[in-house]
Amino acid sequence: MKRYLVLEDGTVYKGEAFGADCQTTGEVVFTTGMTGYQEAVTDQSFANQILVFTNPLIGNYGVNLDDYESLQPNCRGVVCREVARVSDSWRKQDTFDNFLKQMNIPGIKGIDTRALTKKLRVHGTMKGSLIDPVDDLKHAFDQLHATVISDRVVAQVSTKRPYPNPGSKRNIVLVDFGAKHSILRELAKRDCNTIVVPYNTTAEQILALKPDGVMLSNGPGDPKSVPSAIEMVKEIEKHLPLFGICLGHQIFALANGADTYKMKFGHRGFNHPVREIATGRINFTSQNHGYAVKPESVDTNELIITHREINDNTVEGLRHKRYPAFTVQFHPDAAPGPHDADDLFDDFMHMIDHRKEGKSNA
Amino acid sequence: MTKEICDAMAMKRALTRMTYEIIEKNKGIEGIVLVGIKTRGVYLAQRIASRLKQLEGADIPVGAIDISLYRDDVSHKDGHLKEPVVNDSELGQDIAGKHVILVDDVLFTGRTIRAALDALMDQGRPKTINLAVLVDRGHRELPIRADFVGKNIPTSLDEEIAVYVEEIDGKDGIELRDTQNS
Repeated sequence: MKRYLVLEDGTVYKGEAFGADCQTTGEVVFTTGMTGYQEAVTDQSFANQILVFTNPLIGNYGVNLDDYESLQPNCRGVVCREVARVSDSWRKQDTFDNFLKQMNIPGIKGIDTRALTKKLRVHGTMKGSLIDPVDDLKHAFDQLHATVISDRVVAQVSTKRPYPNPGSKRNIVLVDFGAKHSILRELAKRDCNTIVVPYNTTAEQILALKPDGVMLSNGPGDPKSVPSAIEMVKEIEKHLPLFGICLGHQIFALANGADTYKMKFGHRGFNHPVREIATGRINFTSQNHGYAVKPESVDTNELIITHREINDNTVEGLRHKRYPAFTVQFHPDAAPGPHDADDLFDDFMHMIDHRKEGKSNA
Repeated sequence: MTKEICDAMAMKRALTRMTYEIIEKNKGIEGIVLVGIKTRGVYLAQRIASRLKQLEGADIPVGAIDISLYRDDVSHKDGHLKEPVVNDSELGQDIAGKHVILVDDVLFTGRTIRAALDALMDQGRPKTINLAVLVDRGHRELPIRADFVGKNIPTSLDEEIAVYVEEIDGKDGIELRDTQNS
């Protein structure tokens, strides 16, 4: 079965349909990871987006239950060069095609993803649709132009009510803006008792849970679309150790007077080199963000820039000068991607223990 | 029997974390002077200073104090009853009114630190003195505690902690040695 990918600028790509049998519209973005397609599709940071995989072969090791990053993904569609006809791995439980059908996500294959990615790099991300072949393409474009893709998707992907991820040692509150399961996995690995709360939980509600530390999760869209979280962070950072990832990093920056902007084509993939400024050490990181913090807007009396991307110098890490709070734009939880930076979770644990100890000695 | 507790990477990370904590506690780097206790404390102080320079773009003065007759990375049994004394200090700047951060590799009985505090006080009246140590191994004999700790390593008295720094030992790392079974 044929399927078309149409872009806002008038380009039409013809390809073969796979995955769910439906039409879709979203922001077309590309990700550069060679593996980890399942994690990418289930990552809530890709909500309302059509995902282009630059790696030419996708689906060769199938999918499995262990690698879900969320159970109800909101990714709108996938674009591939080639989808493996046969997939095999000792972990495989299902094929990529079947998985997309179950999740009701349409896909298109046989697309020249190199050309498409080059276009996106030059023109920036744009709206696109996956549609069935039609005679009247003009109508399809009119519809595409008329569609408004909301950047306010946090409310849609965040949990509706709090839930625990039990452990026994430290009490952590994770504010869910579209949290990846791997954050919970990293916390569970460190024996944390985690309570996941909705994105609009207030500082008072969080403090009432008497946690030892607060984590701000990753999430999709524009950080300015969650003003309630910005207010929450302003208050919470004064009281509790804070660690933010991705959207959490941007919200922390906004709460401390910095500004954010929408990037041309974002950072998606896991070959992004990041320099730790204190030591000059380079980590390869997993990233997925379309917005970033404006470096010149960072108030250096309040915040320190701790990490920078090497290719385009974006602010990848911040730390508060007076409070125990730090955030990173990249994903130390990896999944998919390199585990270069997972020590940041250990740093957070140290921060929490240090504060507890200080309290008991005071 | 020797066991590596920290490899080079973990040691660097611990120093970076301590650097952040120093900034957080002092709310910036205004008036900070780092004073390393010879030998390895000086190298650790220099490393913290270089991190502060990268982050804040300012040069932080680094001084040194030499305290001898006592080293807790050699067997403490023979030297245990001697009181450490200050041999020499090369502070290189006035510490009056400054926020001094004393840096050492291992915090053990606390006697070295007490000697260092005396030496500092002789040089002027610092506004505050904080203590940063890479390893806190416990067994304090004096009411002294570190403000910034890289790693807490609970030890028995039969064990020794060895801190290696690249500058003189050719490698970074922290090792735990058991003197009884060796």
